Amino acid sequence: MDRPDLGTADRARKGGGLMMISTDTSRASMCEALIEAHGLRLSFGETPALRGASVSVRPGELVAVMGPSGSGKSTLLHCLAGILVPDAGEVRFEGRRIDTLREASRSRLRRDRFGFVFQFGQLVPELTAVENVALPLLLRGMHRERALREAQGWFERLEIDGMESHRTGEMSGGQSQRVALARALVTNPAVLFADEPTGSLDSLNGERVMGLLTQMAREQGSTVILVTHEPRVAAYADREVIVRDGRVSTSLQAVPT
Amino acid sequence: MIRLGLRLTLQSGGDSARRVIVTAAAVALGVGLLLAALAGVNALHMQTERGAWLNTSPETRASGKISRDPLWWQLSIDQFGSQAIDRVDVAATGPSSPVPPGLPRLPAAGQYFASPALERLLASLPPNQLADRYPGREVGIIGSAGLTSPNSLIVVVGDAPTQLSQQPGAFKVRGIQRTLSNCYACQSGVGSGPVLQWILAVGAVALLLPVLILIATASRLSAARREERFAAMRLVGAMPRQISVISAVEAAVAAIAGVALGFVLFFLFRPLLYNVPFTGAPFAPGDLSLSWTDALVVVIGVPIAAIVSARIALRRVQVSPLGVSRRVSSPPPRIFRIIPLLTGIGVLAYFDAKGKPGANGAQLLELLVCFVLISIGLVLAGPWFTTAGSRLMARRANRPAALIAGRRLLDNPRAAFRFVSGLVLALFVTSAIIGALSSILALTNSNGGSAGRDTVADLFCSYSHTGCPASTKVASVTGRVLSELRSTPGVRSVTMIHQDLSSNPFGGVVTCNQLARTPAIGRCAPGASTARVEWILQPPLGNHSTSTSTIWPGASLSVASVARLPVDAVVVATDGSAGAIERARTSLERAFPTQGEAVVVEAQDPATSRFLAMIQDMADVVIVASLVIAACSLAVSVAAGLGERKRPFSVLRLTGVPTSVLQKVVTLESAIPLLLIAAVAIVVGLVSAALFLRSQAGIAFHMPGPGYWVTVAAGLAASLAVIASTFPLLNKVTGPDAARNE
Repeated sequence: MDRPDLGTADRARKGGGLMMISTDTSRASMCEALIEAHGLRLSFGETPALRGASVSVRPGELVAVMGPSGSGKSTLLHCLAGILVPDAGEVRFEGRRIDTLREASRSRLRRDRFGFVFQFGQLVPELTAVENVALPLLLRGMHRERALREAQGWFERLEIDGMESHRTGEMSGGQSQRVALARALVTNPAVLFADEPTGSLDSLNGERVMGLLTQMAREQGSTVILVTHEPRVAAYADREVIVRDGRVSTSLQAVPT
Repeated sequence: MIRLGLRLTLQSGGDSARRVIVTAAAVALGVGLLLAALAGVNALHMQTERGAWLNTSPETRASGKISRDPLWWQLSIDQFGSQAIDRVDVAATGPSSPVPPGLPRLPAAGQYFASPALERLLASLPPNQLADRYPGREVGIIGSAGLTSPNSLIVVVGDAPTQLSQQPGAFKVRGIQRTLSNCYACQSGVGSGPVLQWILAVGAVALLLPVLILIATASRLSAARREERFAAMRLVGAMPRQISVISAVEAAVAAIAGVALGFVLFFLFRPLLYNVPFTGAPFAPGDLSLSWTDALVVVIGVPIAAIVSARIALRRVQVSPLGVSRRVSSPPPRIFRIIPLLTGIGVLAYFDAKGKPGANGAQLLELLVCFVLISIGLVLAGPWFTTAGSRLMARRANRPAALIAGRRLLDNPRAAFRFVSGLVLALFVTSAIIGALSSILALTNSNGGSAGRDTVADLFCSYSHTGCPASTKVASVTGRVLSELRSTPGVRSVTMIHQDLSSNPFGGVVTCNQLARTPAIGRCAPGASTARVEWILQPPLGNHSTSTSTIWPGASLSVASVARLPVDAVVVATDGSAGAIERARTSLERAFPTQGEAVVVEAQDPATSRFLAMIQDMADVVIVASLVIAACSLAVSVAAGLGERKRPFSVLRLTGVPTSVLQKVVTLESAIPLLLIAAVAIVVGLVSAALFLRSQAGIAFHMPGPGYWVTVAAGLAASLAVIASTFPLLNKVTGPDAARNE
């Protein structure tokens, strides 16, 4: 099957390199940032997860957040997405602080402007694949017929046409993940947050999902923040952010070779 | 293996302990309710047993002890307002005459014993409204051993044997009825022994079934999480049989803890149960008790039931070393499930169209067959109705909550119905009973209008023509009695019906002049001076006049000759105030103590009224309790279901889905089967009552009054509140932590 043009990320995967540009991400184009965090600190009980992490992401950028297990990368993603509220520091989206918003406002923000893909278990088991994809549209108040029609269009684009009436247990991991990806993108989000989206897939399926994720995100102009510990997945990104011990230690820019 | 099961249950860390505690708490709730239901049944039994002495009859043989000196005995049921007063007139023939329970001795002539509630009533009212009905003076109160309930209105009046023996309905007894067993007098009468016991049994089953379903549901609360662990054990070589033993141990531990906690809950909340109006009559202290058998059945039965329930649950899944797989989902319930229900209703409709079966036995058989068919039909058809409702909701849903809830219900309609199945029979039976009662009450209240409710009639012994001794015939009403009656405040007029000696043994004659002043019992043809009247009251289940619009045919007697005839009945029209009615009644009782009771023309007779009120109260309790218990089962199933859907729900929340949407999902999943099945059971109950009444008694159906609908609405509101109590759990288990990659 012909692979679509994957732009920067594709070039990186096919042999492009990554160049270390900074260890202080707070200086990275703060004025152009779509989403940025500064000095984030967060502890779970006595255990510190973030110890002053800062990061900035530009519109349309695909950033991979990497790091060893327990380094705080998922916690950083959850803070950026307004899921968790940091103990200290600030998170801004489009220049507006979101860490000080009430839970209801953050929920609305996540529903209206963000999309999410996780490792597994995201689909509502009672619903068919097409209903799962239509779910965010229904939540926005769209009429059922129209929501299902719009959701239907994603199945061909994500190469899972024919799976519309299948349910979670009737699809493979890769197919389920593509349905989840369609559900995340169907609302045309400003930012797509992906937490280990290929973590439960084999390499072939993982590549397929990543290829589609980057392609669709770029087509829609969505920014992608991707948590992974797999270099092969991170290679799809424009930039890598390395998290160690709750701090962003390094930012590496992908460059074509 | 049992030891391993115990260790896994009790020493596997906080999560395991939490699971046992939650399951035990849910079982405890069920056990507490079960004990309350058993204690309620016992209390009702004790109430009726304590009231057995009122059914004393000439055939009564009290505990083999036969008194040498018989006791003259006459029971009548008087009325004050809508309350019934049991009046027992007694006259001892010697020192060893039997003494009713609750009395230190028999009252002598001119003395009476009153129940505490009646004593309070007597003290609070002017004598001419109540106290004057009882000759003599009060010499004491009736003790608790003789009281059905602390608020029972009973009076035991002492008479002279020579006087009482001449009264209609009086008889000699040699022993007092102490129990409902071997109770001859209890065999007849709508509010007595066997009928009451049968109704109590139906009420108990209606309450127990939902409670047992709750306990079974609770004991499987953490099944999903338990099964995951069993799969891991299978991976390391555990045999299915060993898994089964461990599962049984886990279920038993939670159930035993739940039983212990349930007993604590029961004894803790028992004082509050005394306020539950099971029969309208409050229980006496000590009534709500448990027998050793009850306690043993619960202590042994619940853990066994929990083990069986857990084993059944385990058999529905395949625990393999590679994980837990649900058995292949069964096909959706087929439409043929509603055939028995439709057949039952169809048979009732057939008899409605074609007429009832002739013999009484055939009628009873028809009733039994139809109601058994409908009951079985409702249980069989429940999953089909759940499927139909869920499918409709899922197809029409424009909102995610309705879509998800509809799909989940469609996934397993049998399970969804199982949690509310206990409700079906309770609501069907109670709705049928209330529907029948409403229709009967509407019939008794529909004829006379307000005139009937303002008029009091004292039908003398001779009017009934049933074994009336000659000495009790009333030759004439004296001028003194008449003037006293007419001067009673609130009394407007007095009409006397005289004995029709010439032709009609079942009627009387009246002067048109008098009849015109008591329109509640009909009127004369134009121009007539006297009229021949038939029965003025029809008492099948209450009193009601034949009609205010009845025009009685003229009699070929002069006014003067009618006035010379013996009196059969006295009818008093009042201004309708409660005081005036009671004063008229008291005056009539005092003037004619040896005759029948003075009754309001348009009212139920007090015994029927009391019985119907009791059934109504019991039905209300069963409706509310069964709805709330079914909701508890649903809440427990919601809690269990949340464990299975923790991750997708929490991911939805992360993606910005408001918790209110998830709360709607949970509410709809529970409320739809509850409301649907409640509606079906109520409709079927009312339709069955309508068809049965019309075909068997020719009585037109009347919808139950607002009281019934308020009770149902209150029960449903309480159920929804119970379901809403799972929201905090929903919010907690779908928090951000649950969605973080594990």
